Amino acid sequence: MNKLISVIVLHLLLISPMFAQELTLEGTVVDKTGIGLPGVNVVVDGTQIGTVTNLDGYYSLQIPSRDVTLVYSFIGMNTVKEEVNGRTRIDVILSDDSQKLEDVMVVAYGTTTKEAYTGAAQVVDKEMMENRPVTSFEKSLQGTTAGLQVTSSSGQPGAQATVVIRGIGSLNASSTPLYVIDGVPMAGGLNDINPNDIENLTVLKDAAAASLYGSRAANGVIIITTKKGKAGQTRISFNSQVGISSRISDGYKLMNSSQIYEQSWMGLYNWGLLYGEHENGDPFNRQDAIDYAHGSVKETVGFNPFGVDNPLDDNGQVIPGTKVLTDTDWRDEVYKTGVIQNYNLNVAGGTENTNIFFSLGYYNDSGTTLSSDFTRYTSKINVNHKVNSYISTGISNNLTYSETNAPPGGSGFANPVRSAEVINAASPVYNNDGTYNWDNKAIRDFNPVGLSELDIYRYNDVRGILNAYINVNLLPSLSFRSTGGVDYANSKGLNYLNPYHGDGAGVEGRSSMSRSDNMILSVSNIFNWTKSGADSNFEVLTGQELTTGKSTFLSAEATKFPIPGFPDLSWGAKPEQPSSGPSEWKLLSYLGQAKYNYGGRYYFSASLRGDASTRFGEDNKWGLFYSVGASWRLSEESWMQDIAWLNNLKLRGSYGTSGNSSIGNYASLGLYGSGANYGGFPGIAFVQPENNDIAWESIASFNIGFESRLFNRLDVNMEYYQRDSDGLLFGKPLSASKGFSGIITNLGAMVNKGLEATLDYDAIRTSNFKYAVSFNITSNKNEILNLVNDRILSGSKLLEPGASLHQFYLQEWAGVNPDTGQPMWFVNADSDDKAGNVIPESAYLDPHGSGRQVTSSYSDAERVRKGTALPDFYGGLTNNFSYKNFDFSFYFYYSLGNQIYNDDYATNMHDGSQPGINLAADALDAWTPNNRYTNVPRYVAYSQDEGNQMSTRFLEDASYLRLKNITLGYTLPQAWTERFHLQGLRAFVSGENLFTLTKFKGFDPEAALNGRLGNAIPGVKVVTVGLKIDL
Amino acid sequence: MRISTYIYIGLILLAQTLFVSCNDDFLNPQPETSIGDKDVFKSYETAQAALVGVYDQLSSYAFEGLFVPIISDLTGEDVMISPENNYNWFVAPYQMNTLPNYTFSESPWWAGYKVIFDANMVIKYAQQIPDATQEQKNRIEGEAKVIRAFVMLKLAQMFAPAYAADSEAPSILLAIEPLKHDDPDIGRAPLSAVYTQMEEDLLSAINLLEYKNDILDKGFFDKRAAQATLARVYLNMQEWEKARDMAVLAHQDVKLMAIGELSNGFYYRNSETIFTVAYTADDNNVYLSIPSFYYPVYGYSSMRANNRFVEQFSNNDARNYYFVMEPQVDSERYLIVKFLHNQQVGNAERISIRASEMHLIEAECEAELGNNSAAQDALHVIRSRAIPGVQKSSAVGQALVDEILIERRKELFGEGFRWNDIKRRQSPFVRAGDHWVRFDFEAGDKDYYRMTYPIPQSEIDNNTALTNEDQNIGY
Repeated sequence: MNKLISVIVLHLLLISPMFAQELTLEGTVVDKTGIGLPGVNVVVDGTQIGTVTNLDGYYSLQIPSRDVTLVYSFIGMNTVKEEVNGRTRIDVILSDDSQKLEDVMVVAYGTTTKEAYTGAAQVVDKEMMENRPVTSFEKSLQGTTAGLQVTSSSGQPGAQATVVIRGIGSLNASSTPLYVIDGVPMAGGLNDINPNDIENLTVLKDAAAASLYGSRAANGVIIITTKKGKAGQTRISFNSQVGISSRISDGYKLMNSSQIYEQSWMGLYNWGLLYGEHENGDPFNRQDAIDYAHGSVKETVGFNPFGVDNPLDDNGQVIPGTKVLTDTDWRDEVYKTGVIQNYNLNVAGGTENTNIFFSLGYYNDSGTTLSSDFTRYTSKINVNHKVNSYISTGISNNLTYSETNAPPGGSGFANPVRSAEVINAASPVYNNDGTYNWDNKAIRDFNPVGLSELDIYRYNDVRGILNAYINVNLLPSLSFRSTGGVDYANSKGLNYLNPYHGDGAGVEGRSSMSRSDNMILSVSNIFNWTKSGADSNFEVLTGQELTTGKSTFLSAEATKFPIPGFPDLSWGAKPEQPSSGPSEWKLLSYLGQAKYNYGGRYYFSASLRGDASTRFGEDNKWGLFYSVGASWRLSEESWMQDIAWLNNLKLRGSYGTSGNSSIGNYASLGLYGSGANYGGFPGIAFVQPENNDIAWESIASFNIGFESRLFNRLDVNMEYYQRDSDGLLFGKPLSASKGFSGIITNLGAMVNKGLEATLDYDAIRTSNFKYAVSFNITSNKNEILNLVNDRILSGSKLLEPGASLHQFYLQEWAGVNPDTGQPMWFVNADSDDKAGNVIPESAYLDPHGSGRQVTSSYSDAERVRKGTALPDFYGGLTNNFSYKNFDFSFYFYYSLGNQIYNDDYATNMHDGSQPGINLAADALDAWTPNNRYTNVPRYVAYSQDEGNQMSTRFLEDASYLRLKNITLGYTLPQAWTERFHLQGLRAFVSGENLFTLTKFKGFDPEAALNGRLGNAIPGVKVVTVGLKIDL
Repeated sequence: MRISTYIYIGLILLAQTLFVSCNDDFLNPQPETSIGDKDVFKSYETAQAALVGVYDQLSSYAFEGLFVPIISDLTGEDVMISPENNYNWFVAPYQMNTLPNYTFSESPWWAGYKVIFDANMVIKYAQQIPDATQEQKNRIEGEAKVIRAFVMLKLAQMFAPAYAADSEAPSILLAIEPLKHDDPDIGRAPLSAVYTQMEEDLLSAINLLEYKNDILDKGFFDKRAAQATLARVYLNMQEWEKARDMAVLAHQDVKLMAIGELSNGFYYRNSETIFTVAYTADDNNVYLSIPSFYYPVYGYSSMRANNRFVEQFSNNDARNYYFVMEPQVDSERYLIVKFLHNQQVGNAERISIRASEMHLIEAECEAELGNNSAAQDALHVIRSRAIPGVQKSSAVGQALVDEILIERRKELFGEGFRWNDIKRRQSPFVRAGDHWVRFDFEAGDKDYYRMTYPIPQSEIDNNTALTNEDQNIGY
């Protein structure tokens, strides 16, 4: 009956205008700059009557009466309602509503609005991550967010970057932030997440933002929200992107074959003059030295790269006209042009009650280095469903399979990157008969080109992340949410070393296989209670969380492979020691949070969390973490309303604590481990000393800042923070008499203080041309406050109170003695490296006139403090242009004041101490009696001058400015796409890391956060073209 | 479902986690691939495994398996390392230029102290093993004591001056308890204290241990091995009588190798072996082994003999065959074929103590004691085996001592003795002939500091009881 009445009423409503007088209304719709907006929908509220504005923003409309309301709407703009009230002309200004879209942000255990938030957090939108030729999203974050430092230390496809939020807060434990995906903390393996599946990220920086994650929040938190479907038309989009990658820079030049041959000759000749002696004890004369050098040079270099037996004259120079047969550029052999392919298919859609999103992704990077590549297949399903008026539920599912080929890194002989630097150019890749040449003077039997064909280093990973939730609104003011997560990873590794050459030759081939799986289960149950008054709002969250992690591994190995190319263990005639074992951790937590806001002006928040972890000592199982925060929106105060140019001003402050529990499982126990077998008997050995006191690292964070918007164009945000880390987990160095060189203990305190500033400026906002620029800068100062030992020497670094964690401590290079060609170091007798201020016997006055004492005896020089590996400033500069259907953006990343000890360069500047190992072309400038003023010492074969020992000679300023990304895109006009029955089509060309400005000599100044290089694959630069089609 | 049902489920979940948190095991999971240190000595099997583990660490390449013996010969005149194709292994020791941060100083130090630490655990708890017989307890404790003394002796020889030069000189760290990480650090003990400790340990071990004459047991220390080690300790102390007595006890009833066996390659224990590093190729790095460096092919193959040394062997000396000139491998220097691979690269035990050394100790002590005839007899045992038909020496006094010392070099080169033999007698150090790094200095010269290794920089940095002032002279 009711239904019938409503149908009749509806009909009456529709019919009635036919009897009413038709009235005409007109007007224009413009944007804030006064330019007409075409295509704006103008509808009479509650009816189907409406029209669309023309190119100039003009509209005219027949309306049923003069007392209706009109609704003006346009995508990306605020919707405006106007009561006609008898008017015949209505002009409307629509403003951008992008500001409004940013308002809701995902934070710890829920969402909030930007206005209401008391913490320091920044949202990074999908635009920053989509269609970037990187395997994992964190690499796209470099330079986007103040306080966030991202460092890629390897160009291995699939390798992850190091992410640090607001300075390194830990000495020994991990400084990696906690990653939370769709509300559930996840284990590492960021490259298992397809960046194209991410809707946005929230970087939680201070205690008010992160402290609710308790013992895992010390290094900040990054919350990942994946894409979801929206009610409305189902949208299918297909992205494809293809590109080529290459080594990021050329690095310093290496010697060619003639140069290394001549240089080696000179080294032998110098050796002869200095140390050569006949059987009877008579020293060599000049001719003896020449003869010795002629006789030994081929053996020293390994090969005579020339067409004749005696290519050098008595001055060690190549006789003009000598034909060079071999001149191998080993870098050209090891590095190649990579191809990147990235394809993604997304389907998003839904109804009011159910929305879905699913995607398929394929990513392949063939790598820039021999036998390094990465292939990934991803799939994602997100479903959210409203069961009834008070229950909603959803599931989010990521499934990933990847295959990586990654040659070994570090100083191992099988590392192709190192091979390219140390094998000299006189060594051929192939023998005359076309087979590989396995001989060279640097790493005999390791030809990187040959090994890339014969050896296998392959890793397969399967990852499933499945999160599900149910949300129940128990009362209008009370809701309950239960979230369960499964994060499962299964990894398989295969290292096959062929029986003939390289590492496997000694055992006639070796194959090792490993399998590990890691399962993290987490459950959280959270109650949320909200009470709104007329002027205030009160919100309380309380709940419990349990996370358990269990991993197992299995590895086995066999040697003696009779047939090459078959890596399966079944082929190995001799099985080796297998191993397996589980490992386990648990974290039990209770948490609560309260938020209060009064009048939309004053906001307060407080949180508390208790965590118990299995990793810590008997006496320190529980940790308690809290935070308080407040913000004040001054611009909402009545007395601020008159300041028209100030659109927003908010002050914020917070203080709180969090913890770091990133140390190994069972770290507190004294343990004996297996495998110490002897003479065929099984044995065990003490492997870990007991430490019952071991506890959390705690960080107390203070943050104060403001957010503002001026002239409706310029956003200015600034923050000051101080993060005090205490009880730092650190391998306290021990005397050998205690059996171990160190023990993990809570011994240190450190502080990171910093200033962050972000400026966003909408410079031009006409309807056709837009230009926005955004700049951020972070200055972070890291300072150790307290160590158990007064100072700890660790390689090239000195840890001590008052200094940075990565402070270099090195002998100070004083150049080359112009009279002898020997290296010199400043004595620095008054340094605190050695007790007493005794000038050693070997000291003499600096011949370069510095007035200081120098020595040519390395061990007599004392080490001094020389800068740090951490930058003084870093940040990004982003520029976005759009003109009609073109968009163009580029952004820079910069890092200033950081130093790198260039280990690679030191290897190639050995001054003869490693004869036969390749040299940098700079070594041509070595001291000779005719080249006395140089920074390169004399070149002597088997040199004992120690000039290439660790000193500031190889310490370089690694400040740099990099064009991180540049993209030009074109979106096809709608009229055209409609003709092809498409919803949208965009084509783009994009470049990553195309240009770097730096004084650093190596491949990549980004290579190391700690300032040391490890022969990792250099970074890459990439150019891609792509197409995005919306169906 | 009704709302109340959800609340009910939620409460159950909460209650469950509350319950588990009260359970002690929940937050104290135990590892499954290792054993708590307190549990190790609760049974004989695990205690015995812990003892085996100490031997394993002793045998590692960083200590008795390779570094200590090879460095001991390279710090001498008889052999050298070829700089070719050797990847810089042991070049600094040969150049007599091992700096405090070099692995050749760091590795033996750290490896040695780890062995001592684990041995200290065994010594401390051996008598408390509940299910062991007294005999078993004694054996475990005794073996661990020999290991501790054996390692201390090697460390003292490397890192401290000679006992004969200054018995009160600062030496090594005297760690005789398993120290905890927060115990006070200990500094360098005077040499005399270290020698007293070694003597005490070995005398105690001789009491606790039995003779084990089965060749299969030679990978472990027995009473005889304790006596032999003590003979070495006394020899360093120039306690000639005590050294002789121990040496005689140690070689008593031991059948020396036959002349034919001298060329068998020293890769497996033989009749005169008192202790061998029972190296197995399957759980060790085969390239870091003695034959890998000594044998002319298959490994690093970079050890060479000095021509002046080779010339001292008479033509009819069976040991002359240890040296070959093979221009295809090395056109200039003598290759050494004393140490062979056993079928596979690096598959070789390293004979660490053998009876011939004990005869030579006996000879040297007797000569020093003026018992020329006894010394000549003892020397003749070794010499007549290698050189059939050789006449017994008729030298006396210093000439006899010198002859015995030369014989020691010939018999034991490559087995890790030369460095200490020069040092313990404060003899001159002279490299001549085809050495590519030469020296000529004697005790009292500035360069003599090279005969003592630097305390590793890491130890000085880590140990609060040490500063750079405590470093050995010359570094």
